[in-house]
Amino acid sequence: MRPRCGTDMGLIVKTSARAIIPLIGIFGAYIVAHGHLTPGGGFQGGATIAGAGILFLVAFGLNEMRKHYNKHLYSALEGLGGLVFLGAAMLGIGTAFFYNTLWHNGPIFNGKPGTLLSAGFLPIMNLAVGLKVFTGLVSALVAIAMYRRWKS
Amino acid sequence: MNGEAILPYLIIIPLFGAFSMPIVSLIGRKAREAWAVIISGATLAVASALFYSVWEDRGIIVYTLGAKSPLGQGVSFPIRIVWEVDLFGAIMVLMVALVSFLAVVYSLGYMKHDTGLDKYYTLIIVLELGMLGIAITGDLFNFYVFLEIMSIASYALVAFRNDTWEGIEAGIKYMFVGSIASSFILLGIALLYGQYGTLTMSYLAVKLAQNPTVTAKVALALFIAGLLFKSGASPVHMWLADAHPAAPSSISAMLSGLVIKVGGVYALARLLFSIYSPLAYKALRAYGYPYINMNTVGWAIIIFACLTLIIGNAMAVIQTDMKRLLAYSSVGQIGYILLGLGIGLAAYGSHTGEVALAGAIYHTFNHALMKALLFLIAGVVIHELGTRDLNELSGLAKTMPKTTFAFLIGAAAIIGMPPLNGFASKWLIYESSAIFNPILGAIAIIGTAFCTAAYVRVLYTFFGRPSERVMKAKDPEASMLWPIIILAVAIVIMGLFPWQISEKVMLPAAKALEDQLAYISAVLGGA
Amino acid sequence: MIQFQFITAFLLIVLGIYAFLAKRNLIKLILALDIIDSGIHLLLISLGYRIELNEVPTAPIYTGYETLKSPMVGPLPQALVLTSIVIGVCVLSLAMALTINAYRHYGTLDVRALRRLRG
Repeated sequence: MRPRCGTDMGLIVKTSARAIIPLIGIFGAYIVAHGHLTPGGGFQGGATIAGAGILFLVAFGLNEMRKHYNKHLYSALEGLGGLVFLGAAMLGIGTAFFYNTLWHNGPIFNGKPGTLLSAGFLPIMNLAVGLKVFTGLVSALVAIAMYRRWKS
Repeated sequence: MNGEAILPYLIIIPLFGAFSMPIVSLIGRKAREAWAVIISGATLAVASALFYSVWEDRGIIVYTLGAKSPLGQGVSFPIRIVWEVDLFGAIMVLMVALVSFLAVVYSLGYMKHDTGLDKYYTLIIVLELGMLGIAITGDLFNFYVFLEIMSIASYALVAFRNDTWEGIEAGIKYMFVGSIASSFILLGIALLYGQYGTLTMSYLAVKLAQNPTVTAKVALALFIAGLLFKSGASPVHMWLADAHPAAPSSISAMLSGLVIKVGGVYALARLLFSIYSPLAYKALRAYGYPYINMNTVGWAIIIFACLTLIIGNAMAVIQTDMKRLLAYSSVGQIGYILLGLGIGLAAYGSHTGEVALAGAIYHTFNHALMKALLFLIAGVVIHELGTRDLNELSGLAKTMPKTTFAFLIGAAAIIGMPPLNGFASKWLIYESSAIFNPILGAIAIIGTAFCTAAYVRVLYTFFGRPSERVMKAKDPEASMLWPIIILAVAIVIMGLFPWQISEKVMLPAAKALEDQLAYISAVLGGA
Repeated sequence: MIQFQFITAFLLIVLGIYAFLAKRNLIKLILALDIIDSGIHLLLISLGYRIELNEVPTAPIYTGYETLKSPMVGPLPQALVLTSIVIGVCVLSLAMALTINAYRHYGTLDVRALRRLRG
């Protein structure tokens, strides 16, 4: 039997998903937060967190997703991510666009390389990009899923 | 005015506008529309100031991202992303900002009945952003990123009306062709990076002149193939004739007026003159070093240009769909621009080449105005009558006099009638091509004959006996009428001072494009 | 030493172009685009990995680079490939959205059906 869209995938999948989704989210958050120290960064971490969202969509079905998904909120958050990125890039506009003034002059994020509070605007940008990628990918996937529903 | 200080705002303002659009549109419809107009208007102001600054100083503005100087610490080559604007780039920036602003204003009335408009305005600003970025960038990968921003926004906008099959089909065709072309360009960039280890255009030019290898030639072939795809040159122009009519008319105006020029011809000119330079070819050949033969490249572009010119204009004659006719006419006019570019490359160093290049730049600007005007008028006709079939538009002049008059101006300008702006630019191209090779001059004239036939046919329909359907039509509302009036007035005013503009702006722009040494030393600082 | 990664990259690009020309299904065409892109990404990223003087380069991590004996992989191609992958994701999702729309209008995924625009 073909699974109909909008419905969930059964108890086993739902239970495992409930257990796994927080772990995926935490791992994604780790990748985003350590983007300036280890391989990874905003896009990779954001895509990982979006993977948790997509797992939710697949396991619990579109109807359940609709309750937790607000289109306006997600697109506003996506815009907010972009704005924070742009703001971080503009902090050093006195010298040049994208000038890393936090790293050169402080007051925060100018610690020793290798520590969490270092690398100037890079952690801020990673967080912003992570937010943007997460909201963007989830929105895209939900839009495509809804589309299929809408057709039938 | 200090051009260097305002250059980043050319990118910051549209980026800010695009990112804040979802938040602003939560307030309401009016706020969103006002925001789009404010953002594109502010971009236009910055672009005008930038153009004035570059034009006044006759210099090249270099802006480094992330630091004061593009050179790395303790090394003498650039390691950072640079933006580099010469007069040619500044003209493109002004053109993009002007036409985009008018298209946004026009959209207020034209797109009133559509849904999903927050995405529409975001995409239109992103499209503008991509084109501005291409015009100002001095870094190859940065160029690719802006090219893709522009391309993705235009794929989405072509398919914006996804409840019609026409938009979807055109969008899919456009997207596949455009993605393949982008892949070619990326492959070319990867090959150049692998060979020379740098992405800064000016430093790459130095490295290339020192050691022109086979890899560089392959990369050049890939670049030319990809960018001819993007500019809609003849063997691969089919996507253009599908995509431009299917888009909403304000987008058609931007696609036909701007995207194929900035993303195709401008990028091609930048690559051919500032990276692979005919100057280096001449010098290396004179001293017996290995070289890349830019003369052959110039002739290859001339051949493509002639094909494009004939096919595009000839196909325009037999169309019955008004927007399709205009799209084919765009193909034909791209042929003229490419012809000027090819002659400028093949006859590099002579006065003929310079005049041809000036003509190409002039015609790029003129055609952006003319084609934007004509597509906006086509949009008005669709908006009022719901059809764009020429057989049903007979006698439009009676009920839509202002619109028809504006169309008359646009058509006369695109044909090249003397008191309008198209005359001067076409004349420069005819003149230089006739001096360079009389056969090319003859081909250019034949193309114009076809073009005249196509537009006379449309005008004949407009001034013909009114059909019943047309009687209900009237001139459009103010937000749609004013962009048309502004464009028509700009065409007439530019037509009044053709030689002054060509002397004061276009010839210096051609000189700036030809002067590769100034382009290089602006970044490397004589190092 | 034979640079296998370049050969693989070239093969992937050729394979993608073949699939693009030979296949008729829209989804397969999108996959073909992705294969071409992957080939280019492989080429680009292997440009940063050069074995010189028999020294195998290590990952470009900034901390502790003073104590590193061997050279590092060039970090720039990795940044370029990452950017290019992001662009690829955009194109891919847009292509999928358009394909869904096309299926709705045409009832098929065959590109030969997309021929209504003519003239």
